[in-house]
Amino acid sequence: MSQEIVNIVDQIVERKGQSPDAVIPILQEIQMAFNYLPELALQRVCDTTEISASQIYGISTFYTQFRHTPVGQHIIKVCVGTACHVKGAMQVYDALARELDLKDGEDTDAEGKFTLDKVACLGCCTIAPVVQIDDITYGHVSTEKVSEILDDFVHGSGKQNPNLKKIKSNNENQGEIRIGLGSCCIASGSADVKNELENTLIEKQINVDVKQVGCVGICNQVPLMEIHKPGEVPSFYSKIKPEEVREIVGRHFKPAGPVARMKDSVYNFFENLVLEKTPIDIIRYVADKRDTPVSEFLDRQINIATEYRGELKPSDLEEYKRLDGFSALKKCLDKTKPEEIVDTIVKSGLRGRGGAGFPSGIKWNIVRKSKEAIKYIICNGDEGDPGAFMDRMLLESYPYRIIEGMIIAAYAVGASEGMFYIRAEYPLAVTRIKEAIDNCKQQKILGDNIFGSGFSFHLKIFEGAGAFVCGEETALIASVEGKRGMPTMRPPYPALKGLWDKPTLINNTETFSLIPWIIRNGAEAFNQTGSEDSKGTKVFALAGKINRGGLIEVPMGITIKTIVKEIGGGIPNGKKFKAVQIGGPSGGCIPASMADIPIDFESLKEAGAMMGSGGLVVLDETDCMVDIARYFLSFTQDQSCGKCTFCRIGTRKMLEILNKITSGKGTQKDLEALKNLAISTKNGSLCGLGTSAPNPVLSTLVYFREEYEQHIKGVCPTGKCSEMITYFITEDCNGCTKCAQRCPTEAIPLTPYEIHTIDTEKCIKCDICKQVCPIDAVITK
Amino acid sequence: MVKLRIDDIELEVAEGTTVKSAAEAIGIEIPSMCFMEGFTNHPSCMVCLVKDKNNGGFFPSCARQVEEGMEIMSESDDVREARKDALDLLLSDHVGDCEAPCRIGCPAYMDIPKMNRLIAEEKFQEALVTVKEEIALPLILGYICSAPCEKVCRRVPVDEAVSICQLKRFVASEDVNEKNFYLPEKEIASGKSVAIIGSGPAGLACAFHLTKAGHECVVYDRKKEAGGSLTEIAENELPNESLKAEIEVLQKFGVQFIMGQNIDSHQLNNEIKTKYQTVVIATGENHNGLEIKAINKETYETDQPGMFACGSVVKKLDMAVKAVAQGKAAAKSVNSYLAGKEVQKTSRMFNSKFGKLTPEEYPEYLKESSKDRRTAPEKGNLKGFTTEEAIREARRCMHCDCRKALDCKLRIYSHTYGADRRKYLFGERKNVVKYNTHDSIVYEPEKCIKCGLCIEIASAEKELTGLAFIGRGFDVQVNVPFGKNMEQALEKAAAKCANACPTGAIAFKKDEFLHKDQEKK
Repeated sequence: MSQEIVNIVDQIVERKGQSPDAVIPILQEIQMAFNYLPELALQRVCDTTEISASQIYGISTFYTQFRHTPVGQHIIKVCVGTACHVKGAMQVYDALARELDLKDGEDTDAEGKFTLDKVACLGCCTIAPVVQIDDITYGHVSTEKVSEILDDFVHGSGKQNPNLKKIKSNNENQGEIRIGLGSCCIASGSADVKNELENTLIEKQINVDVKQVGCVGICNQVPLMEIHKPGEVPSFYSKIKPEEVREIVGRHFKPAGPVARMKDSVYNFFENLVLEKTPIDIIRYVADKRDTPVSEFLDRQINIATEYRGELKPSDLEEYKRLDGFSALKKCLDKTKPEEIVDTIVKSGLRGRGGAGFPSGIKWNIVRKSKEAIKYIICNGDEGDPGAFMDRMLLESYPYRIIEGMIIAAYAVGASEGMFYIRAEYPLAVTRIKEAIDNCKQQKILGDNIFGSGFSFHLKIFEGAGAFVCGEETALIASVEGKRGMPTMRPPYPALKGLWDKPTLINNTETFSLIPWIIRNGAEAFNQTGSEDSKGTKVFALAGKINRGGLIEVPMGITIKTIVKEIGGGIPNGKKFKAVQIGGPSGGCIPASMADIPIDFESLKEAGAMMGSGGLVVLDETDCMVDIARYFLSFTQDQSCGKCTFCRIGTRKMLEILNKITSGKGTQKDLEALKNLAISTKNGSLCGLGTSAPNPVLSTLVYFREEYEQHIKGVCPTGKCSEMITYFITEDCNGCTKCAQRCPTEAIPLTPYEIHTIDTEKCIKCDICKQVCPIDAVITK
Repeated sequence: MVKLRIDDIELEVAEGTTVKSAAEAIGIEIPSMCFMEGFTNHPSCMVCLVKDKNNGGFFPSCARQVEEGMEIMSESDDVREARKDALDLLLSDHVGDCEAPCRIGCPAYMDIPKMNRLIAEEKFQEALVTVKEEIALPLILGYICSAPCEKVCRRVPVDEAVSICQLKRFVASEDVNEKNFYLPEKEIASGKSVAIIGSGPAGLACAFHLTKAGHECVVYDRKKEAGGSLTEIAENELPNESLKAEIEVLQKFGVQFIMGQNIDSHQLNNEIKTKYQTVVIATGENHNGLEIKAINKETYETDQPGMFACGSVVKKLDMAVKAVAQGKAAAKSVNSYLAGKEVQKTSRMFNSKFGKLTPEEYPEYLKESSKDRRTAPEKGNLKGFTTEEAIREARRCMHCDCRKALDCKLRIYSHTYGADRRKYLFGERKNVVKYNTHDSIVYEPEKCIKCGLCIEIASAEKELTGLAFIGRGFDVQVNVPFGKNMEQALEKAAAKCANACPTGAIAFKKDEFLHKDQEKK
């Protein structure tokens, strides 16, 4: 074993190099090889490279991706992002821990089969709560379903569509079927739908183009299939199950040739006999018809970053080119001076989409004016906010657009090297970008002498290793340089002194994706959209308690109400709209009463929130605002790098106060201490993480003070704070025994046909009884 | 050159200067813990925050370079408050005692652990010098002190308290029996004289400290024998011989005694007050007809200028050691008064203390001491310890006091800014761990403020193993990679790390190391 480790490590070092900045890639490969970091492997790295013991320990214990102990065969990741949190992710986690019989502090079951882990956000917020086992994602998980999921994984995992046959190409092409293959879509089963679709088409010998498009945005309706036939209005099918595919295809396309046609009718005849009726519970929408959920969802959006949404095949370079792709770059290289490009960006009023909204043109100009010979471009795709998945979607769906934006930026500021910084939790994004970079290199769009212009630009990918703070640009740079992701003091800003002390232009993924459009259509076209100080559009991840969650691109200045009511279709289950949480852990909660405020950088800041990177989680009357504040703070305090006093200790102390309050032990004095600490942490922290971490607390203290007061009095009005509630069964109970059968702690005695009771001593508040009760007779007080 | 204003003072400094250095150039001291010239880890402690008047924001002055037109506030209330908040937070995560509980528990604030260590090293006279800093009558108290120090000794829950009182008596009686017993060096004679009415423990202690301060002291007592209430103690508790011996030491030191003379109000006003510049009333519970009104219990001043009072005359005291402590405090006030300075109450340095040890911590503390049980003097309690017994007992002391008690920046700034250790004390405290296997240093992670200076120093010194940040966020710790120990971590850089560490987290194991190193400097 030990010799094997040494050999593998040596090969990795051979590939990745010996310099200190290779440490993260080396560790990532070691972990890929062994599933964890064996001590011997780390020692070997120190012995054979310039990486010191201090560095390798500092790094491997800083980033959460790295593990120092062996793991089970499969890793279960429970997403505890915002959307998942408000839909009960922690209870799902606890239920899995019980199912795997994990003792306190253990993360791997006795057989070594599963390791249970939490993950900050998988970016599949619209199908929350989400659990990922290895590379299979399960959405809409509830506590009572966890055993089913494990069972499904063990017995169903790895099932692949066997040998796909090709359709004869001489059959008449009848049209195009588009199917979304973003992460949400795949998690909702779109891969299975796609397999079934291909099977059906082969069987029936129907010649239709099946096109895998990027994220469609309507994540709440996925898997989504769009059928385009020449001369017909496109049709949408939402929430399709694999078994429904055959029927849908049959509605639109005729099998080719008489044999296939006959087979088809016979097959369907018998199938219908067996099943009596084809189980079609899907809804079909015609695209041009108004007032359908799909059109409402799409109509109010403006697609700039997401231009050609639902049409583009993400990795198809030719198609991207056909749809104006790289024409902006050509325009720049052919006939635009760098300063003119920067000028256009300045005039467009574009502000950085990463959260703080710094004017992009000014940043570009600083880098451009620097006399240094070497300059860098970094695309910040380290989207770590729980409840946000804009970057993931853009990277997965529009890789070429972002690359184009980066090359234009590089040309404008005079950089010849660039880098994608993408978080490791986004494997599909990494794959797509890799593919896109390779394709661009082949076509000389990247590399030396692009389009024969004499301009050269090289692009590579750096995979983040699991640290939210690396979204902060100085921390991001530190991690690329092979250091712990600790922010440094700004100024100096990276635009003057960044990566390897060279001028570095760091823009968010979305920012770069807007560039080609601005160049093609002009600054005026862009700044006509939006509000006074915030121009253009913003992509939001709409999730939480909303009928139509998904990824939306809307003009700046749109009101919260329009988003929630019209695009999102309001709150499900007849519940009341309470607040939106905007901007994730850096943002704040804006109450329903302020839903008329326009969403732009300034107005959000005034309201105590922040644009952040664009997570928009809708909360309803059943959500506890103190719990929400506590949730975000537990996230930021967990993600604090630990460098500066206020963030390291201040966020922890705030969390301790909030824990006290949510467990019913808080006092009025604690509320004051919380507020003071929030203010001093905001004032005294070094980087954006610490200075914005108190926002969720401060904004809820302003708008929902009453709810805090009630907790102080011992009442959680929504019953979300589990330490403050008790489960009861009302007299409505019909004695069906479902709850008693599913109770994991035998707190409910099995009393058929009688009203059941809960032994509160034994009850662990897992919520299963409440979920399984068919008549809502289980309540909390 | 860059022009800016700090605290409304206009100055011009070279480009690239930090705000902190600029402030220092005009004599404004800005506190800082994590900063060290030439190192990069700062800013992390945030104790050097200043305010930018132009935008109202705060920033760490050690890491920001001056900019043209800056207007900086470094001493405003909100800046002080921000620095205090940083300190409050650091303290809430700091598990350690500045002074050992025994010293805090001692009404006379005697440096008990230091005495113990000196005894353990057989430096008996040095031990006595330490004792006499605070306690004028160690031999007497060695017999009769009710030893509140032993009640709070950290060794109590482990097995039994260190026999502190006996140890003190041991060093005192060793000294008294010496021909060349210890008399502290006196300050230059002030030419001023003080009358002390009453020769009980408070009066004697006061006389000792005033004599040491260079004043002429005359003690009056209505009884023939000096000692006040001490003379009433049974022989089997306080042998008269010992009482006399210690009073004799005072006489040799220069304290004059006028015995058998009762001072009433008339005499006080007409004779004593005219003869002496200052009078201290230490007549004990019985006023002896002296009428004293309104005594300031913090400064021991009375309503009459030049007249002070201490001991049971102020309020009945249940312990002789309290009287001795008051005697010293009153002497300090008198000294200020005679020097024409404002009389101020004795204020003690900020002290961090963390409460009871957990059972997991017992072994950590025992690393510093012998595991022997408490020593009972073989010849009986009244006879006290033999030399061997004293050394054995002194080795039981667990070194609860901080090795950097005097130069810890966290303590010094906490004192300056009035920091409050309890303000953010929520949640559970961490357990104290002591890494003491290294020859010259001890590492106590719970005192670490995570500035990372030691890590950087070790790396600059090309340590093969060195130190590393392990983990991140609130749980981050400085520790040795690959589970190795401190000797392997710091083969070369130990002294530099101990000197650079702003708190007691990395400190020289023994005081001598510090001394040696300072000589080198």
